Amino acid sequence: MKITSEQSIRLSRVCVLVFAVLLAALDLGCYWAVDWFIGTRPILLGFGVREGILMMATIYLGSIPAWILLVNLHRLLGALAAGQVFVSANVARLRRVSWCCMAACLLCLASAWYYLPWLLVAVAAGFMALIVRIVKNCFAQAAAMKDELDFTI
Amino acid sequence: MSIRINLDVMMARRHIAAGDLAERIGITPANLSILKNNKAKAVRFSTLEALCRELDCQPGDILEYLPDEEESP
Repeated sequence: MKITSEQSIRLSRVCVLVFAVLLAALDLGCYWAVDWFIGTRPILLGFGVREGILMMATIYLGSIPAWILLVNLHRLLGALAAGQVFVSANVARLRRVSWCCMAACLLCLASAWYYLPWLLVAVAAGFMALIVRIVKNCFAQAAAMKDELDFTI
Repeated sequence: MSIRINLDVMMARRHIAAGDLAERIGITPANLSILKNNKAKAVRFSTLEALCRELDCQPGDILEYLPDEEESP
């Protein structure tokens, strides 16, 4: 079975929607999620109210760039579906996505002092920021080339 | 811009309308307008050839090089 370009974009949009639902659920149930997380890990038995609040703060602060990222991904996919690929608006969206990943990276880096595994998330987010930034650079070059081509008569 | 396109001058000399010329050389009137108004970034040889054929002229009659003006001392 061959997946067409439209189906692929639709699948990506569904994935973005699923992540948005998961993020909304995490935002709404952050208290219970943190409570459950701390309770299920024996290594975190020393965690008190302070650490729980810090973890909730990390999650809530992290959800801000996450929402911005998801909205930009949704708009990017909408533009792709409309056939607008190498345009400056998409370059700006990818730039915002990259900065959101970088913001998440810095937040997780700062959170690693009370819970070390955040460091892994920070490295993953930083690497993702780098990848998206390179893709953004490719889009910027392609947009410039398309602009040149559009004005070649 | 240092290259100017004198297409409107040649069109006036040959008494040809923009729509007619666009149809004859096989480009859209919108693209011809871009060309006429010096908004184009590049011209294909095929377009230039078609323009010269239809306007019965040489490329130099359409394209003009304007040297950048030097500041007076």
